[in-house]
Amino acid sequence: MADTLTEGEISIEQLLERPWVCIVWDDPVNLMSYVTYVLIKLFGFSQQKAHDKMMQIHIEGRAVVATGSREEMEHHVQALHEHGLWATLQRDDKI
Amino acid sequence: MSEFIRNDGTFSLSLTLDEAHILINLAEQLLELLGEGDFAHHYENNDPFAQLMAMQQEIAPPEDPVLKRLLPNAYSDPEAADDYRRYTEPALRLNKQTGLRTIREALTVLVDNDEAGTIENLDPQLWLKGINDLRLALSVRLDIDADSFETFENMPDENPQKAIYAVYFWLGWLQENLLLLLTSQ
Repeated sequence: MADTLTEGEISIEQLLERPWVCIVWDDPVNLMSYVTYVLIKLFGFSQQKAHDKMMQIHIEGRAVVATGSREEMEHHVQALHEHGLWATLQRDDKI
Repeated sequence: MSEFIRNDGTFSLSLTLDEAHILINLAEQLLELLGEGDFAHHYENNDPFAQLMAMQQEIAPPEDPVLKRLLPNAYSDPEAADDYRRYTEPALRLNKQTGLRTIREALTVLVDNDEAGTIENLDPQLWLKGINDLRLALSVRLDIDADSFETFENMPDENPQKAIYAVYFWLGWLQENLLLLLTSQ
């Protein structure tokens, strides 16, 4: 009974275990150097990783900057909003 | 000309009197918008430049575009966003108000003395966030997008929007100046 899924299907348990993600969105106002600085400050990224994330935000319009529990992601969003970055959280849409 | 200065671990900011006036006006307007306008303003409502930079005439309802930008939704789902807002927005507002109040108090000394000067021993993180909030607020006022630099460059000097853009541009310069000091060893 437990093993009724065929390959490629997703169980309820897997769905419920999907982590939450914190996303930073591109905006035309925040300076690139400021976004990089805030990512280092809040997430402890290396200079290189923060720069890459900032570029991903800028080019793709958004980037996941953290993954974890809903509570943790809400905390991150709050800190990002305090710094004026445009951030949201949601269930990870990839498994 | 304004400039942040780092001396060992301490930061200061030197400002001309005009710059101090612009900054304190913006800080007071944003405090007003955030619901913290409970002080004697340095600018009267009928001051032409204050009117030019006016972000909002009254204490703003939550749908005010500047507040929307400063206190954005955390979820795309409206119900989840409202729930989150209910228990986080007061703290977020307070955080921004506290920063802007500190900035305003430091500027008050310069403006009340009616002369250029230096704000000594300032908290660089607080100023970094405060300047960013002022930029964000002005960006809504100016409807900034990716092409704005060119748009405003090509705008005739007589257009009052261009003067506001100059303030916005200057704030970006000031922020970059502080970031450079914070990241250089």
